[in-house]
Amino acid sequence: MTNPMAMTTAKRRPRVLVAMSGGVDSSVAAALLVDQGYEVIGATMQVWDYSSCDIDEGNGTCCSSLDVDDARSVADRLGIPFYVLNCEAKFKSQVIDPFLKSYLEGQTPLPCVNCNTYLKFDHLIQKMRELDCDFLATGHYAQVKMDENGIAAIYTSTDDWKDQTYFLFTLESSIVPHLLFPIGGMKKPEVRRIAEEKGLTVAKKKDSTGICFVGNMGYSKFIESQVDPMILKTKTGLIKRLPSGVVMGRHEGIHHYTYGQSKGIGLTHHEKLFVVKIDAETNTVWVGDEEYLYSQQADIVDPHWLTSWNEDEIYQVKIRYQHKSTPAKIRKTEKGYRIDFLEKQRAITPGQAAVIYKEQKLVGGGWITI
Amino acid sequence: MVKRRRQEILIEMQKMIYLDHNATTPLSQKVIDQIPSILQAWGNPSSIHWSGREPKNLIRNARQVLATALKVSPLEIIFNSGASEGNSAVILGIYEIFKNSKNHFMCSQVEHPSVLKAFQHIEKLGARVDYIPVSRKGELDLNFFKKHISSNTALVSVMMANNETGNIFPIAELVKMTHAVGALFHSDCVQVLGKIPLNLSELNVDYATLSAHKFYSLKGTGALFVRKNSPYQKFIFGGGQERSRRGGTENTLGIASFGVMANLLDQVVFRQKELAQLRDHMEARILLEIDGVSLTGNQSARLPNTSSMVLRDIDGETLLMSLDLKGFAVSTGAACSSGSPEPSPVLLAMGLSRAEAQSSLRISLGWETNLGQIDFFINILKEVVLRLRNISQKTNMKELSLMREQSL
Repeated sequence: MTNPMAMTTAKRRPRVLVAMSGGVDSSVAAALLVDQGYEVIGATMQVWDYSSCDIDEGNGTCCSSLDVDDARSVADRLGIPFYVLNCEAKFKSQVIDPFLKSYLEGQTPLPCVNCNTYLKFDHLIQKMRELDCDFLATGHYAQVKMDENGIAAIYTSTDDWKDQTYFLFTLESSIVPHLLFPIGGMKKPEVRRIAEEKGLTVAKKKDSTGICFVGNMGYSKFIESQVDPMILKTKTGLIKRLPSGVVMGRHEGIHHYTYGQSKGIGLTHHEKLFVVKIDAETNTVWVGDEEYLYSQQADIVDPHWLTSWNEDEIYQVKIRYQHKSTPAKIRKTEKGYRIDFLEKQRAITPGQAAVIYKEQKLVGGGWITI
Repeated sequence: MVKRRRQEILIEMQKMIYLDHNATTPLSQKVIDQIPSILQAWGNPSSIHWSGREPKNLIRNARQVLATALKVSPLEIIFNSGASEGNSAVILGIYEIFKNSKNHFMCSQVEHPSVLKAFQHIEKLGARVDYIPVSRKGELDLNFFKKHISSNTALVSVMMANNETGNIFPIAELVKMTHAVGALFHSDCVQVLGKIPLNLSELNVDYATLSAHKFYSLKGTGALFVRKNSPYQKFIFGGGQERSRRGGTENTLGIASFGVMANLLDQVVFRQKELAQLRDHMEARILLEIDGVSLTGNQSARLPNTSSMVLRDIDGETLLMSLDLKGFAVSTGAACSSGSPEPSPVLLAMGLSRAEAQSSLRISLGWETNLGQIDFFINILKEVVLRLRNISQKTNMKELSLMREQSL
């Protein structure tokens, strides 16, 4: 690896702010940057630690989590300055509150995108500029490369399984040149191997799965812990059969259901039935045969584009994180944009994102609506 | 390898400039020099045999020196782990003693969390607590105090000087009014040692709390002053140490080190002048050379080492980090255990807006601070503030892509 200080014409060593979560990926990202000769500054965003924080006692301030300690210990090992940034208020207003609202509106939200939009790639970009850094680095599985026009663009990771570009579609294209994803060109086992070689204490730490603030609690319990029971009571309603409209039973709140769900619906019925629609206006959960889950179209709102596109070309579209992308065309409609898939897709879920790629390059995306 | 890196960090630290003495102070060289010999006295001070003699002597001597400096009797000093312990001991103890006779307590709104949280705790147990407001200048609302104090008041607790603004409160006056209704008075004096003279006998307080680490000695050691004949209930149960008022084998090293510094308390009179001169020079230059700065609090009655200010359009957290990266240690408000600061409750209580509190900077000088450091600091502060106020949102694509390519 080359030392950028020796070669660059820039006046000083490039300085990078690296977002460290305390996990393996961002720890290795930081270590690689140090090796590459950057001047590295580590930062952890202190968000609400829902898993281990006694709400009464902690009052939402100063409750240091074990992950913050892990990030701190890696920074110490690497000999880089490290800061904890207080993002609790912002995290609550931009991530937690919309998450709860979305569930209560019968959707299945995707809070990680908001965290990226409003915290990692907004708050931290601001800090990057304030601390006189040239780059912001994260441990995302994604790559920044120059596209055919010589413009920095986001490309999928070499690790297809771990690729996280799905969560990055809201990024402003103007900040892309400032981003570094040091592990985006690697596969997970390699990242772990580097962590072990470098003696990072987090090398054996488990991958985080699911949504960080929900923890082991499960969605329903989390929502119940955060929302006034009186409000939850207003979300109870009927379970109806599609297409007949026959009432099959009652349910305890639409936030217990997600599209495509077949277990735990709360019905004793001889056929296997699926949640095919959630109507938040009437609090009706519609169930039916699996075929009703399939659709060839998705409407998206609040779209965000990183690069240009046109209506004639075929793109690759992902409708949920663990979804293999599938070919589709995009067109503008009166209300927003419509995605026409070449083949029918199962459980296109409102609240999730449809993310659009041109081969490996991230084009943009939007929020799936009913 | 790890050891070598620690060594490097220590060497680097010596090049840094420390301006956060209200958080803690560096160890005095005098203390460092004494530590090896104090460590020889490893025995249990309660032991009757030879190993207990030297530690016992060191502790007795420290108590004598500290008591003399504070103009009180050695019997009135209880060594403990620091002011947080002392504050809990006094507040919880007095509640316990008077819970069936006097139920009312008072403290200022700008006390340290170790005082505020102790009062919040006894409130849950049934006490009634009035929190005395402060003005925008940080002055205590004496009318509120006079209006609420009564024969039902058990204890009043007001700090001698505030950690964030350095404002000094009129303790002697408050003590008179408190004693007039038959109540007891406690003062958290943690910010005072080494900054202004402290004469506990003149102040006539019933209880005072101190921490050694705010006065160039070791962390984990403090002193609690309990006036003779003032009621006291032990907080830590154990052996007969500290005349059965605080259990636990004594921290000989901490206490003896505290004694080393207590010997130097007679220097405070001239140190006070030195500190004030440096601080005034610093403030004059900052106000003259940096736009949009206003000093916080009462400038007429405050500690000579402390300067608190609001810098318009500056995020205090970022300012602190930027200065840290250049080797300067300052503070934005109260330090917090996770290192993630919230806007200072003290400044909010004084009526500053959240935005003002978040744009605030505290600089606190110490005995080793010199003019060269201050001038260097102001030059860098100017540069950083200017840069933060003019952050360019523009991106130099060419330079960035060059840096990116060359580093991979």
